[in-house]
Amino acid sequence: MLPDLHEIRTADNVGIGYDAAGIGSRFLAFAIDSVIQGVVILAALVVALAIAPEGVAGSVAIALFVLVPLLVAVGYYTVAEALTAGRTPGKRALGLRVIRLDGGAPGLTEALVRNIVRLLDMPGFGLVAMFLDRRSRRLGDLAAGTVVVRERRASAAVAPVLPPPMLRTPDAGPAIEGVDRLGPAEWSALRTFLSRQGLHPEQRARLAEVIAARLCERLELDTTAPERQWPAELLLERLYLQLEPRMAPAPAQPGPGMPV
Amino acid sequence: MTPEQFAARRRDSWAELERRIAQSRRGALRSVPAADLQRFGVLYRHAASDLAIARRDFPGEPVADYLNGLCARAHPLLYRGRPFRPSSLPAFYATGLPRAVRAAGPYVAASLALSLVGVIAGWLAVRLRPDIAATLIPDSLFDRMARGEANSGVGSAPFAATFIIQNNIRVALLCFAGGALAGSLTVFSLLANGWMLGTLAAAVHRDGFDRPFWALIVPHGVIELSVIVLAGATGLMLGDAILRPGLLRRGDALVAVAPRAVELAVGVASLLVIAGLLEGFVSPSDLPIGVKYAVGATTAVLLYSWLLLSGRSPRRPAPVPQLGG
Repeated sequence: MLPDLHEIRTADNVGIGYDAAGIGSRFLAFAIDSVIQGVVILAALVVALAIAPEGVAGSVAIALFVLVPLLVAVGYYTVAEALTAGRTPGKRALGLRVIRLDGGAPGLTEALVRNIVRLLDMPGFGLVAMFLDRRSRRLGDLAAGTVVVRERRASAAVAPVLPPPMLRTPDAGPAIEGVDRLGPAEWSALRTFLSRQGLHPEQRARLAEVIAARLCERLELDTTAPERQWPAELLLERLYLQLEPRMAPAPAQPGPGMPV
Repeated sequence: MTPEQFAARRRDSWAELERRIAQSRRGALRSVPAADLQRFGVLYRHAASDLAIARRDFPGEPVADYLNGLCARAHPLLYRGRPFRPSSLPAFYATGLPRAVRAAGPYVAASLALSLVGVIAGWLAVRLRPDIAATLIPDSLFDRMARGEANSGVGSAPFAATFIIQNNIRVALLCFAGGALAGSLTVFSLLANGWMLGTLAAAVHRDGFDRPFWALIVPHGVIELSVIVLAGATGLMLGDAILRPGLLRRGDALVAVAPRAVELAVGVASLLVIAGLLEGFVSPSDLPIGVKYAVGATTAVLLYSWLLLSGRSPRRPAPVPQLGG
C-alpha cells in the first residue's frame, strides 16, 4: 500500500482506493473556507451594528457581535460537512472530501467531533499530527475516525481506455520461437507500449530496443536467431500479433457480463 | 477479453452512474425518489464488481483506475452517517442527556476530583504562603476582581453576558478537545480552573469578603462549574480510551468513544447560555444577597434533579437516545 493511500472495503469486499489529501491542498481549502467564514462574520457584525443603538435590539446585536465568531468557527464546518457529505465549499473547490474510515460520508456526530477538536488543532497540534500521520490526519480526524481524500474529478462520461495499438505492419510474420513463454504481463506491456502516442520516433525506437532486449531474454532466443536481426519495433509488433489470439480471444464471446 | 471490449460492454452502465452522481449535486441523496435510489445502488454495485474484475484481469490499465475513481465518488453518496433530525432534540434534552451524564459517572467523579484537587491546592497555597499569595492567583482573576463589584467593568450587562458565554463555551469545548491529547490538556484545564477558584476563595476569605464574593459566584457558578466538570468528564473519556484502549487499538478506541463524548460535551455546553445570562444579569446586579443565594440554590435543585432523576426507568434502562437519531 502506498504511504498516502486509504483503502476501504465495500460490503461485497471490493477494495476502493482513495488518495489521502496532503497538507498543501488542505491548507488551500482551509484558506477558502476561512474567507467565506470571514464574510459571514462580517455580515453578521454589520447587521449587528446596524441595529445596535436601540434598546433590546441593541442587546441582541451585542450578543451577535460576541457569539458569532465562535459559533461560526465550529458551526460552519460542522453544518457544511454534515449537509454536503463532507465537502465544504473550500474542499469542493480543491476536489477534497471528508470520509469516514469505512468510506461513508460523515454524519453530524463525526462532523461535530472533528470540528470541535479543530479548536485544539488550530494552535498547531493539528499540523504536528498531520506531519506524523501517513494519511495527513489532524487530531480531529483521528478522534472522529475520518480522513480527507482527493476526489478525482469525473473527466468524461466515458471510461478512458488505451487507444488501439498503432501497428505499422499488420501481418504477424513468421512464428517466433518460444512465444509460449510470454504471459499476460508481457502482453500487457506490449499493448501499453504500442498504444502509446506522442512519442518522438527516435525515443520510441530506443524504448523499443530496451523492451525487445528484455523480451528476447524471456524468449530465450539464441544469439544467432533471425529475430535478433529484426528492427526492435517490428519484433514487438509481431510478438503482439502472435500473442493476441491467446490473450484476447474473439470479441464475439459473450463473457460474464451482467444484465443491466 | 481486452480492456476495450470490457469497457465497451459496460460503458453505458458506468455513464449512467456518472450522471446520477452529478445529479446529486449537493452530495446528498435525500431529494431522490426511492426508485432512483434503488437504481443508484444497483449501478454502484455493478461498478464495484466491474472494479473487482478489472483489478483481476487488467491491473494497471486506465480502466481499472477509472473504475476505482467512479466507485470512490459513488460510495460516500450511498453510505452515510446518521443525519441530524431536529425532532430528536426534545427527547435528547429530556432524557438522553441526563442518561448520558449518569452513564459517564466514573469520569464525572474523576473530573470533579481533579477540580477539587485544584481548589484545595490553590486554597492551601494561599493560606500557607500568604507572602506570595499575589503571585499565586492568576492575573486575569485580579483583573476580573478589579472590574468590580461585578463584571460591570466589561461594559454593559448584555455584552458581559455574551462574552462570558462564549468564553465558557470555548473552555468547555477545549476540555473535550483536550481529550484527543490523551486527556492531558483536559486534566490541566480542570486543575487550573480549580486552582483559580481555590486561590481566589482563600484570598477573599483572608480579607473577609466572603459574603459578597460568593454572592457574585453562586447564582451562575452552580451551572458553570457543573458544566466545566461535565465537559472535563468528556475529555477524560477520550483520554481514557487512548490510554487504556482494552482490546482495541488506541485510535479505534478513541473513535469508538468519541460520539458519546461529543454528544455529552455539546449538550452540557449549551447549558452555559443559561449560566452566562445569570452571570451577566443576576450576579453583578444590586439584588439582595439573599436573592442571589436563592437563585443559586434554585438552579442547583433544578439542574441536579434533572441530571440525576430524568429518564430513569424502573425496569431495565432503555438505550441512550442519541443526538443524531
